[in-house]
Amino acid sequence: MAMRSQIYEWDASRTDGGGNAIAGSGANQDGQRLSIFVGGFGNNITKPAETTATEFVVIEDISISPTAFMKANNGAEPAYRGLTQATGLAGGRSFVQVRINTTDYFLDPDNIPNDGIPGTASPYPRSIDFQPSFNLYPDVYVLPGQVWDVLATYYNAPGMSYNAGTINAGELQCFVKYTLYDGPDALIANKLLEMGISINPGNVDWYKRSLLGAQ
Amino acid sequence: MAMRSQVYEWTNLATGGNSSLRRSTTDVPVAIPTNREIDVFTGGYGNNITKPAETTATQFVVIEDIAATPYRDGAVQIRINTTDYFQNPDVTNQDGIPGLASPYPRGGASTVAGTDNLLKSFDLYPDVYVLPGQVYQILYTAKSDDSGSTTVVACFVKYTLYDGPDALIANKLLELGVTINPNNVDWYKRSLIEQQQKAAQAAAMAAAGGQA
Repeated sequence: MAMRSQIYEWDASRTDGGGNAIAGSGANQDGQRLSIFVGGFGNNITKPAETTATEFVVIEDISISPTAFMKANNGAEPAYRGLTQATGLAGGRSFVQVRINTTDYFLDPDNIPNDGIPGTASPYPRSIDFQPSFNLYPDVYVLPGQVWDVLATYYNAPGMSYNAGTINAGELQCFVKYTLYDGPDALIANKLLEMGISINPGNVDWYKRSLLGAQ
Repeated sequence: MAMRSQVYEWTNLATGGNSSLRRSTTDVPVAIPTNREIDVFTGGYGNNITKPAETTATQFVVIEDIAATPYRDGAVQIRINTTDYFQNPDVTNQDGIPGLASPYPRGGASTVAGTDNLLKSFDLYPDVYVLPGQVYQILYTAKSDDSGSTTVVACFVKYTLYDGPDALIANKLLELGVTINPNNVDWYKRSLIEQQQKAAQAAAMAAAGGQA
């Protein structure tokens, strides 16, 4: 199991792993960057995501709950395409950013880190109503020994629905797809990186075949 | 991280005026004028950035997709320095790609709160290159008025930023007439490594021959 396709799904309503469900509009976390791994909200894991000396991670896709654009005064239509309407938007106006060690991956054209990919461009879940405009290419590499994080931000809390003061399931979700290369395959991934070859399972297999052929 | 996929999303949402530098939970829709090009980076409406978008001497930008909300007859144009990319057949100016042809969000409706699902009719291919030292703008134009309350409109840009050595390779590919994309940049790196390896082998063989 040296190359494994992996995913992580985060839902702001879940509490497994010690996180809290996001509270209603006006809560402190509105507009803040929340780590989907150890941010203290939604389902969390036990420690920050990091690669060991014998691991290599390639992040291939990230996505977050979408938003639709409406009219400022839209009180007459409380829902649109399954999303709650508020402030001219339907949905939470959410974004997702990747951070490697202390460096944010997505920047504005003035080279200042931004909120990341909008859920409108990379929606989760995908549907006929919300299709992706963005594809994470080239992939993001997490080298051995690096710490990585995926940060979710939402700005339109009234555009999500709540029950008894906490967010409903499915209102704010984030999804990460990555491949974990472990052991010898992580070494090969490093070698491919040195050679300027894209790291994917096909190229790792090609490198193994070329080694076998040379023997 | 010398090749990075990047996006920029603009909406006419701001706090405390017509524009703001950071998104905020207190953002509200701001009215935008009709039939006027609005620079989505520094145009003074919605979310803006601190300075015009430009590439430094060690950066190369490849714009791969642009899209806009289809309602209000929205359209989006790319300007490099002072030259508009999309032109009419008579070489006069136009507003650019209609949101109906390149909708954002993809699958969104053609009218506000509509029920249809628009797909893209337009693909930005070949890509648009922004060379080192150039200034670029993305211009959004709404060609029809708001009916009733202010409509939230948006514009989306997807580009790849090549930085440092990869920007030099991008320039080299441009000289060679090869399309600039991450695959071709990697191919060029591999060819450089292969040349170095061959040269090292030839030098080692020559040295071995000299000793014999």
